[in-house]
Amino acid sequence: MSGDANSLPPPVAAETTARLPTAWHPKSTSLVMGLGAAAAAFVILLGAASSDRLLAVFWLFGLAFGFVLQRSRFCFASAFRDLFLLGDARVMKGILAGLAVATAGFTVLMARMMPDTGVGSVPPGATVLPLGLHTLLGGVLFGIGMVLAGGCTSGSLYRAGEGYVGSMVALLGIMGGLEISSHTWNWWWHLISQAPLVWLPERLGYLGGTLVTLGGLLGLFLGVSWWEWRASIMLPLNRQEAPTPTSLGEYLRALGQTIFVKGWPVVVGGVALGTLNVFLYTYRHPWGVVAGLGIWADKLAASVGLGAGELLGRSSLAGCAFEPETASALGHMPLLNLGVIGGAFIAASLASEFKLRWPRQPLRYVQSIGGGVLMGYGAGLALGCTVGAFFSAIPSLALNGWVFALALAGGAYIGVKLLNHLP
Amino acid sequence: MKLDVRGEICPYPQVKTVAALKKLSAGDQLEVLTDHPPTLETVPAQAARLGYVAEITAVGTAEWCIVLRKG
Repeated sequence: MSGDANSLPPPVAAETTARLPTAWHPKSTSLVMGLGAAAAAFVILLGAASSDRLLAVFWLFGLAFGFVLQRSRFCFASAFRDLFLLGDARVMKGILAGLAVATAGFTVLMARMMPDTGVGSVPPGATVLPLGLHTLLGGVLFGIGMVLAGGCTSGSLYRAGEGYVGSMVALLGIMGGLEISSHTWNWWWHLISQAPLVWLPERLGYLGGTLVTLGGLLGLFLGVSWWEWRASIMLPLNRQEAPTPTSLGEYLRALGQTIFVKGWPVVVGGVALGTLNVFLYTYRHPWGVVAGLGIWADKLAASVGLGAGELLGRSSLAGCAFEPETASALGHMPLLNLGVIGGAFIAASLASEFKLRWPRQPLRYVQSIGGGVLMGYGAGLALGCTVGAFFSAIPSLALNGWVFALALAGGAYIGVKLLNHLP
Repeated sequence: MKLDVRGEICPYPQVKTVAALKKLSAGDQLEVLTDHPPTLETVPAQAARLGYVAEITAVGTAEWCIVLRKG
């Protein structure tokens, strides 16, 4: 430890990490459950591939996203919430790492697809969304909702796969909120249709847009690090080293434990998710969750005669925010979401972490459904959630991603205030 | 002192643990029973802030006991 550490708050005892268990052993029933689910997922993959390769690709990516989310306990809601609730930026730093990786990858892809940035359009698939008051309002509502429900859209999907009943309830709430937003869509469209698309390379070129984005991410990293230091929650950078393996078998067992049983550092999760998002973009467009949930919400509402009817201008919106009404309930975007649930189930089972968890306090179900509705309505307004309008938008070099992030932080702050008043 | 936060949604397992630690009488230890995997990361970090050391044992499928004592 360096000499200037004296000015820092008391460092965390090294024993904290040393006493973490080196291994816990998965139960055989969980293992069978996980392997069985993985086999079933593979059969679905083959089935999808035989009808439409796009479906197979999105199913596979969904599985990978779900696996990584579960292993690294990656949660956009906790990233924003814990800044205000605990002064902790651990998860936020993981997100920033993922955003930086995806920014580099997206830039290369976009520059290949559209070398000339000054033509008044944006590259196909990039999540550049109309930027306006609706972005801010949607972000604040979403931020409040995700804190109340204890998870955002992708978080609720993977937690549902881990057996959290509250998250399953939140998903229903999100679909409800999305459907309510569809019913008020035509009113908002008057505002949204006037809103500009602000794509950084259009003014700054690819180099400028990328540098501004990476600089912003670095600035945020320093900012949240200062925030942690202020709350005296600095943690040692190096984890306790595990014993050196004495045989190849022992090495492989330890590796297996690290990947399949122990939780991953959240930065590893962020980088993996950012990388997957780049690869997914090469296929068609980046990761989004709302589109798939929106299709389900629309189909469910229409089946009970509550369909929203014609939505002005929806088909003109870029990116993956919404899918056309003709989209199938088992199309590529819904399959991406189902994959997240499936991948998380496989990961949780292999690690012996799957369990049906029923909240004992009735209030939690109210929080889940209410928070879900707020998230759904907010995502409808902002044209995406923490994934599409944030995690895929900032790497698309779109200003709307930053504005949405700012609004999410504001909403999370309000959400934490509300949370402190709940029993 | 024992604290059972099984079934609770995020962030209550962490929040309730920190609240219990603040009320803990001197010399006592806190045993947290949890089924929420993220607590295995967040609770030791939060506890360290208050001067506690964490020890985690798996006590069932997707259930862990985190023992927190003054370090």
